Amino acid sequence: MLIRWIAVVSCLIGHTGTTAEIRPPGETPLPYGAHVLMGGRVVVKPGLVVEGATVLIRNGRIEDVLPKDKPGIPADARVWEMKGKTIYAGFIDPYLSLGEGKAKPVSNRWIVPIEARAGINFKGVPTTKEDMGGKGPGYEIAEIHPQEKISDDFTPNAKAFAGLRELGFTAANFIPAQGIIRGNSALALLGDGDPNQLLLRPQTLQHMALEPAKDYPHSLMGVIAAIRQTVLDARHHGAMQTWAHRNPAGPRPEYNPALESLNSVLRAQSKQRVAVEPGSILMTARMAKLAKELEFDPVFVATGQEWRRPEILEQFDLPYIVPVMFPVVPDLPEEQDWDQVSLDQLRAWDWAPEVPALLAKHKRPFSFTLHGLGDHKSFRKNIQQAIQRGLSEDIALAALTTEPAALLGAQADLGTVEKGRLANLTIVDGDSWFNPDQPVSSVWIEGRHYVNDPKEKKGEDSGKAETSAEPTPRTAKIPGNYRGVLKEPASILILNATVWTSGPSGVVTNASIRIADGRIAAIGPDIGAPIPFDGIIIDATGKHVTPGLIDCHSHSMILGGVNEATLPSTAMVRIADVVNSETENIYRQLAGGLTTANLLHGSANPIGGQNAVIKLRHGALPDDMIFSKAPAGIKFALGENVKQSNWGDKKTTRFPQTRMGVKTFFVNRFTAARQYLAEQRANRATGPPVRRNLELDALGEILRGERLIHCHSYRQDEMLVFLRTMERFGIRVGSLQHVLEGYKIADEIAAHGAGASSFADWWAYKFEVYDAIPYNGALLYERGAVVSFNSDSSDLARRLNLESAKAVKYGGIPEAEALKFVTLNPAKQLGIDRWVGSLEVGKDADFVIWNGHPLNTQTLCDETWIEGRQYYDRTKTAARFEAMADERAALLAKAQNKKPNENAGLAARAAFFRRAMEKAHTLNNCYECRKAKP
Amino acid sequence: MPKGQAMKYLIIHLAACVAVVAETILYQAAVIHTADRGVIENGQMLVQGDRITAVGKIVQVPRGARTVNLGKLQLYPGLIAATTSLGLTEINAVRATQDTTEVGGFTPDVEAWISVNPDSELIPVARANGFTHALVAPLGGVITGTSGLIKTAGWGVEDMTVKTRVALHIMWPVLSINPTPKSALRKPDNFKSPKDQAKERERKLRAIDQFFDQAEAYAKARAAHAGQEVFETIPSWECTLEAIAGRQPFMVHANSERQITSAVAWAKRRGYRIIIAAGLDAWRVADLLAKEKVAVVLDNVFRLPQRDTDSHEVNFRAAGVLNKAGVKVAHSVRMGNWGATEVRNITYAAARSMAYGLPREAGLRSITLHPAEMLGVDKQLGSLTAGKEATFIAVDGDLFDIRSNVKHMWIAGKPVSLESRHTRLYEKYKNRPKPKAVQR
Repeated sequence: MLIRWIAVVSCLIGHTGTTAEIRPPGETPLPYGAHVLMGGRVVVKPGLVVEGATVLIRNGRIEDVLPKDKPGIPADARVWEMKGKTIYAGFIDPYLSLGEGKAKPVSNRWIVPIEARAGINFKGVPTTKEDMGGKGPGYEIAEIHPQEKISDDFTPNAKAFAGLRELGFTAANFIPAQGIIRGNSALALLGDGDPNQLLLRPQTLQHMALEPAKDYPHSLMGVIAAIRQTVLDARHHGAMQTWAHRNPAGPRPEYNPALESLNSVLRAQSKQRVAVEPGSILMTARMAKLAKELEFDPVFVATGQEWRRPEILEQFDLPYIVPVMFPVVPDLPEEQDWDQVSLDQLRAWDWAPEVPALLAKHKRPFSFTLHGLGDHKSFRKNIQQAIQRGLSEDIALAALTTEPAALLGAQADLGTVEKGRLANLTIVDGDSWFNPDQPVSSVWIEGRHYVNDPKEKKGEDSGKAETSAEPTPRTAKIPGNYRGVLKEPASILILNATVWTSGPSGVVTNASIRIADGRIAAIGPDIGAPIPFDGIIIDATGKHVTPGLIDCHSHSMILGGVNEATLPSTAMVRIADVVNSETENIYRQLAGGLTTANLLHGSANPIGGQNAVIKLRHGALPDDMIFSKAPAGIKFALGENVKQSNWGDKKTTRFPQTRMGVKTFFVNRFTAARQYLAEQRANRATGPPVRRNLELDALGEILRGERLIHCHSYRQDEMLVFLRTMERFGIRVGSLQHVLEGYKIADEIAAHGAGASSFADWWAYKFEVYDAIPYNGALLYERGAVVSFNSDSSDLARRLNLESAKAVKYGGIPEAEALKFVTLNPAKQLGIDRWVGSLEVGKDADFVIWNGHPLNTQTLCDETWIEGRQYYDRTKTAARFEAMADERAALLAKAQNKKPNENAGLAARAAFFRRAMEKAHTLNNCYECRKAKP
Repeated sequence: MPKGQAMKYLIIHLAACVAVVAETILYQAAVIHTADRGVIENGQMLVQGDRITAVGKIVQVPRGARTVNLGKLQLYPGLIAATTSLGLTEINAVRATQDTTEVGGFTPDVEAWISVNPDSELIPVARANGFTHALVAPLGGVITGTSGLIKTAGWGVEDMTVKTRVALHIMWPVLSINPTPKSALRKPDNFKSPKDQAKERERKLRAIDQFFDQAEAYAKARAAHAGQEVFETIPSWECTLEAIAGRQPFMVHANSERQITSAVAWAKRRGYRIIIAAGLDAWRVADLLAKEKVAVVLDNVFRLPQRDTDSHEVNFRAAGVLNKAGVKVAHSVRMGNWGATEVRNITYAAARSMAYGLPREAGLRSITLHPAEMLGVDKQLGSLTAGKEATFIAVDGDLFDIRSNVKHMWIAGKPVSLESRHTRLYEKYKNRPKPKAVQR
């Protein structure tokens, strides 16, 4: 009777039957498929433990879980005595990659000098290229291949699987290793068998990683732009299919497997989730927002840097995959070499084990993965460390079982020890997997038993040394402790100041300023405080107050490369995607009175990326630093940089290579943009859906007067030709940047109405700046141009007031007018002078209190305020840096107290030195920090 | 007195007589900043020929002296840039204009001053803001060669060279370790483990010692062969003799604390006289430098802080800390093209240090008397003192205020033009008529 019933069941469930499959003679026969695991400690799911329960296995599935001593044990089952053992649901790694070309954590080395590849076609115009960068059809960027499926090449790796089973894993999601949009991962069992049997879900997640491509996109902002364009293309591709179906006589849509494969990610219901490897905490936030914008569901690979900005965890309710890779203290040759180790590195080391607890604290679901861990042996020890730092065992277990099962859509099969699930079990000799000394003696995978090799016995001493991880409380703090608003009074009254208004009132002595709600409420010689007055009073006797300084050309707060130098037009990339709120440059420049900066793309191509005007709201997240009212802008460039004159002898094939070609190129692109706009208008009603082209979108905005051009330019001829070319398209140029020969065509610049944003006195670094003179600002000013002095340097941005003094020195500009070169005039050039740039009633209360005349070299900045909030106070700086030095000293002592762990893998030791992208500046050696020649 | 020497004295005497015949001028100025004897308000300075003969509130004026009333202008000694590539570079991006950097690890026989392009447009620009002298030093490997002091006006190299073989320059090896993991390196094949790097830095330091062991052995052999013609001289070793004999300083270019302490210990062990150039971390070992009487040429005032626990002001304060500890400080610019274009702004690096704790007097000396002393020309240059060369500038305000301008310059008593490429282009385009296209 019983046997007959089994036969029926096995027919129903196919080839995995208990007895149905008879292997040919000569091969080891399969064991009988009914088992009973008795007397063990069964962890049914996180939070539910049944001591002495019985697990019934039949046909590869869990038939039932019976409480202790409950009858119902089938007679045919083989009985396994589990006393002293603990049974968990088999563990799942949701992000695994094995073998030679296995996935590495995404690179955070984006900071590259200006570099470009010649000879490739730029997107947005018809191309003569015949391949897509790889074999067969696909997307035009070779690194974007969502159509790839890891299941296509999935081959079981017996040796690696055995190693994974020793840790307790019974299933893993195998991920694609290369590219930006990488393709589909596949969930497979870690047992013996052929791929057909082992693959549980052939297409689980889609994968994205912020990694540079060989050609475009080669910068972080480029990668984000490429993802954005790809998703738009996928939607357009779908729309085209629909349209073509209805209009069979119309244009034939192209075959594009890459775009088609993104359907499952973008469809409205039961979306395929996208695993995103952002590489840095700020990019986690960026991609979370982008996912919302583009309407896909992300799961993030944690960076281990979440401690930098816990508020990002708070802000986005999204799941994570957490690599359990913690840096370990390296072995440095000499004591003195520790001087090189920064506070930030020590913090990253000290914080790492606490990141899982931090995620749990913010109630974000997460799964653990071995990804990035060079040495799998430290996996359990690291999780033990995480638990010592406040992670509950239940959540840790969920991260190994229920969470990955849910993430991969396999909760019906995996994740718990419950009736109906696949019989995937992890058996620990002892009472807890979380004690790394208790071995995983065996695992069950779909009802088959896999015995792990017994753990090698080790000498007592070495065993101890390995588990020396005494629970150490965290020493490191978060960066937020040292930044943010210092004072935020409801209103402010500044008395007895010399006020440089940069407005119609000029310089007013013995003046008062009243500030309320972040704006200037009153200004003048005798304004009293309203009664009652709920604010603070600043006695500024002997002091000078100026508007907050504005830097019209900065690269100081940009993440992951300043140039997308690969293509001659990269109008689609956006600096706003990669603003770095974590750099110390913000504090340094606040300390010099700077409150607003125009963050610009570099000058490697004629049409660069879109700019971002920010306020230096120290402590705010990138999007909260954006000057939201500022008109959109874009970087253009002329001359030696864009024609690659100084890039070495090999860079000779990208168009343009001459100043002639630069103009040709602009005419080409703006004509294309005009056509694009016309096409959009024409096709709105009837024609096929128009592909949104992010490059032409930006250029179209310029044509419509909605986006200001800030053009890097040096020689008089190229500037004049540029102005004339733009006039031809009805465009008024926002500002000529550098404009070093502007003095030769000052009248023409003034007549066109372009702002002139110059260096005070840089020259002779390139042939095209041999005629640069420090009188440039004065001559342009005299002829009626709106002139500003900018920094283009994270150093000069700390003392723009003194740069403006050079306009007095060279050419005798009146002092109040000279100060406007770094206050009102850059505000005009950026189109933000309605809100900032001068101290006038109604404008933002962005101001600086100086202890003397602002153009005097002996004057120091005392306080810097933005919108009525104090961000810098000179009297507080000493304490700030002492506290940071103390924190570093304490961390250093703690680190040196830990013996370098020889057993720790190379990857963990190397990770100690892996600098966060946001902190690439720390050792003063990145593009932005070097006094780079513009 | 041997015959030759007597002849020499006679010539000098004659030259002095000619100088006496030359014009005697009394300069009156609102302020005279002597740099070594304080500040004289409404002072007078008497110049006879190329020499200063008296400085004071009221000086005795010989008959026939002409008086030049400079009104509100202030007199300062001519400014001296202590380490530069001035004249060795024109345009950074144009390789043909670069003569700053030679190849080879040990090239003491390279001489920087001989390759100064007297017509470099960068020189008059430096001059226009008060720089009368610059030390021109070679870049390259480890021992890069010797530097020479030039004046910023003259007809050619020989005319402009004030002092040859001023110092022997050493670029101290970088002693930090690059801990970047192999996987993160741009070229993973270049990876060296920290241990290997530690060995390598020891080797680099040993190589310097070995080089000077050999130089000293050569010096000994040469002395033993003194007066014999059979001894074959070797140019490389010859160019180390002055330095190892202590008659010429070593200028050690070093930034990190570790490099600096290593160089100071090396010099002490070998009994050499050194000056630290660059000196980013010098303030961290100010007491050591004061004790060992090592002067510092700072070229890093405006560099961004190098440690993430450093105050944003750290490099602004460096000169003040060094000065307080008793270390002699000069300000200069970075070597190479960028620095050469920025010589005129050295004054404002000093001004920055002054705003952050360097006393005013020390600030002035850091670009006048101190570099003169370091370079061994303080008997002629560096201050406005009777007996020194009449090399000075007249400024229409405080030298350290950017708004001020240098109005006149005299080198060895002769007025020098302050015209430059910049002023010429300024004058030209200031007078450009309004173009027709714009007039309509």
